[in-house]
Amino acid sequence: MNFDAVLIGAIVGVAAGWLLRRWLAAARRRKEGGCAGDCGCAAKIQPKK
Amino acid sequence: MSAAEPGRTVALVGNPNTGKSTLFNALTGLRQRVGNYPGVTVARKSGQCDCGDGTKVELVDLPGLYSLSASSPDEQVVIDALSGHLADDRRPDAVVVVIDATNLLRNLFLASQLSELDLPVVLVLNQADVAAEQGVKIDADLLSRRLGGVPVVLTSAWKGEGIAAVRRAIGEALRTRVRMPAVEWPPLVEEALADVAAGVAADIGRAPGRADVERLLFDSTTSVGQRLGWDAPRREAVIRAARDKVRRAGYNPLAAEPLIHYERLRRLLEGVVQGGGNRTGGSAAVDRVLLHRVFGPIVFAGIMLGMFAAVFWLAKFPMEWISGGVDWLKSVVAPTLAGLPMVQSLVTDGMIGGVGAFLAFLPQILILFLFVGILEDSGYMARAAFIMDRLFSWCGLNGKSFVPLLSGFACAIPGLLSTRTIEDPKARLATAFAVPFMSCSARFPVYALMCAAFIGPLYGPGWESVVMVGMHCVGLLFAVPTAFVLTRFVLKVKPQPFVLELPRYQMPKPRDVLWRMWQNAAEFVSRAGTVIFAITIIVWALSYFPRDPAVEQRIRAASPGAATEVVDAQVQSAYVEQSWMGRFGKAVQPIFDPCGFDWKITVGVLASFPAREVIVSTLGVTYSVGEGAEADSKHLQQVMRDAKWTEGPRIGTPIFSLAAILALMVFFALCSQCGPTVATLAQETGGWKWAAISFFYMTALAWLMAVAVYQGVSRLA
Repeated sequence: MNFDAVLIGAIVGVAAGWLLRRWLAAARRRKEGGCAGDCGCAAKIQPKK
Repeated sequence: MSAAEPGRTVALVGNPNTGKSTLFNALTGLRQRVGNYPGVTVARKSGQCDCGDGTKVELVDLPGLYSLSASSPDEQVVIDALSGHLADDRRPDAVVVVIDATNLLRNLFLASQLSELDLPVVLVLNQADVAAEQGVKIDADLLSRRLGGVPVVLTSAWKGEGIAAVRRAIGEALRTRVRMPAVEWPPLVEEALADVAAGVAADIGRAPGRADVERLLFDSTTSVGQRLGWDAPRREAVIRAARDKVRRAGYNPLAAEPLIHYERLRRLLEGVVQGGGNRTGGSAAVDRVLLHRVFGPIVFAGIMLGMFAAVFWLAKFPMEWISGGVDWLKSVVAPTLAGLPMVQSLVTDGMIGGVGAFLAFLPQILILFLFVGILEDSGYMARAAFIMDRLFSWCGLNGKSFVPLLSGFACAIPGLLSTRTIEDPKARLATAFAVPFMSCSARFPVYALMCAAFIGPLYGPGWESVVMVGMHCVGLLFAVPTAFVLTRFVLKVKPQPFVLELPRYQMPKPRDVLWRMWQNAAEFVSRAGTVIFAITIIVWALSYFPRDPAVEQRIRAASPGAATEVVDAQVQSAYVEQSWMGRFGKAVQPIFDPCGFDWKITVGVLASFPAREVIVSTLGVTYSVGEGAEADSKHLQQVMRDAKWTEGPRIGTPIFSLAAILALMVFFALCSQCGPTVATLAQETGGWKWAAISFFYMTALAWLMAVAVYQGVSRLA
């Protein structure tokens, strides 16, 4: 395997991993009652049960 | 006192559209979104505020409300926050009540009610400059004395006047802990309140708060009994008996509270407020034209057309500079990576080509939000909502739907969050279902690409803005009948009157307008540099691999005498066609064939389901990789204009015909292509059912309408 292919594999892997991590973090935020968007804001309005 | 007190919390409350968020921004140095219409803040936001003497407190900006009788989820948030019933929150240490100085009597009702929460209070009479312009003189010291020393401060938050005094007043309220004097109820009403308090205490074993008792007695519907765990049958008997006492005092139990509070406030304001009269003045004269049944919609359509024409006209040259810059960057970077052909293609075709195609729309986004900011800040957007209400009321949507739908034109997520201002859960659901139809800013680059590449060059620059306005109306045209069916036949929503307090007209504040423009631009660039960049890399990999050398050998062997550039282009095109993306696109393309989409557009459409604007970068990548070196010297728009069908009955004809581009734009106007929106809809409707219905309904509708447009326009053309 040449250097070109290894570099490409690493870049694509990092991009895919980053996207996956971001979506998982957004899902976790939603589960905790936070904002469902991926804007990263900390809006939280769920009243106490 | 100079020690930091991070544990102290101060809540900011007031009627909607009194300038709470502007004051919050001035006190905290943050940039919370503000709007010149009610309902912009729907969730609590907090920041640190200096009390002027080094003392730091946490300032919490809460949604606007008219009274403590919560009827909508956002109002409930305020009451829960003030009484310490909000998750993760404790009761605030003080409350800053923001009051519109031009309408003191009505705004003081909330402050008067707050006396029952037993919290130190600061009264901020905001928009004091406007009150002065209207000839209203307010004696803040006299009001403070009559309220037993409650700090009263005159401010003009947007001008930054009186902010230091508010800081000092917060510090003073925390030190002196002066409360609003409680209202003096007539003896029989007081007795009725005591009966309810005794009834609650007897049943639940502890004394309820005074504010809770008032809600139980005066409100027709309240969740307080449920929260206290007070048994329903016993509760009804106690409350019925207590309300009979209120009737004997000469009051309707459900109207007693405001009547008694207003009697008190009128006495309180005698001599405090002088002058004033016609508070609407010039605004009323302008509104006679802008809200006219006939002229109003005409002016609105004219403003929208003018805005989009200006967006295209002003953005033309900056867009060309960005595209030129992208091409220059490609030409500089490509030779440096000549030894690594795969990395060269990734960087030039994928990263620079994809992200560059997306970034080219930055000037249009900037100019669009500049105009939107001016319209919002001037007070015109609320008038536009009033005009649109005729349409909304016809389809059965709640009058309060206008803020969510208006917000949806920027982004569906704040629009969906704004539905919390709607009391009726069914009307709220119907509005939430309609919001994703509004043409959000993520659709803008798609329309802009098609208009700039085809509509402008083919039909003249004036048609670009006509098509843009048309595309922004498409979502609305389908949202209205959808909401009609949903409200009338599925959810059976009861019609409710529309009450909107129109803000006065004002000169847009350059700082706020430019800040909003900057925020949107920063978000656009941030998305380009993060999500779009990452997706572009994945799309490039899928359209580059696998790369079988036999493909190139076969083509070169089959065309021995052909020009090198022609053979190179054939090789690049063949590689993309046999890539994973090409194979997948070709397999799925028959579904989109009736819409006039080739496999590359199909790939763009499918890649855009997580975020619709991804199609621009995806087309940038697929056409760059497919065209090879030739694309480096041509903008994406030119490459698309030159693209032709290479097989099938349409062979040799342009892929992007008028029918195909209109079908593509209609598809994007109606399709549910935004992951966060679907997730927010699920969160706001309490489950995935309505989110799934919305997704499949919008996607099916988008496909059907794209087919209808393509087939119809093809036949007409």
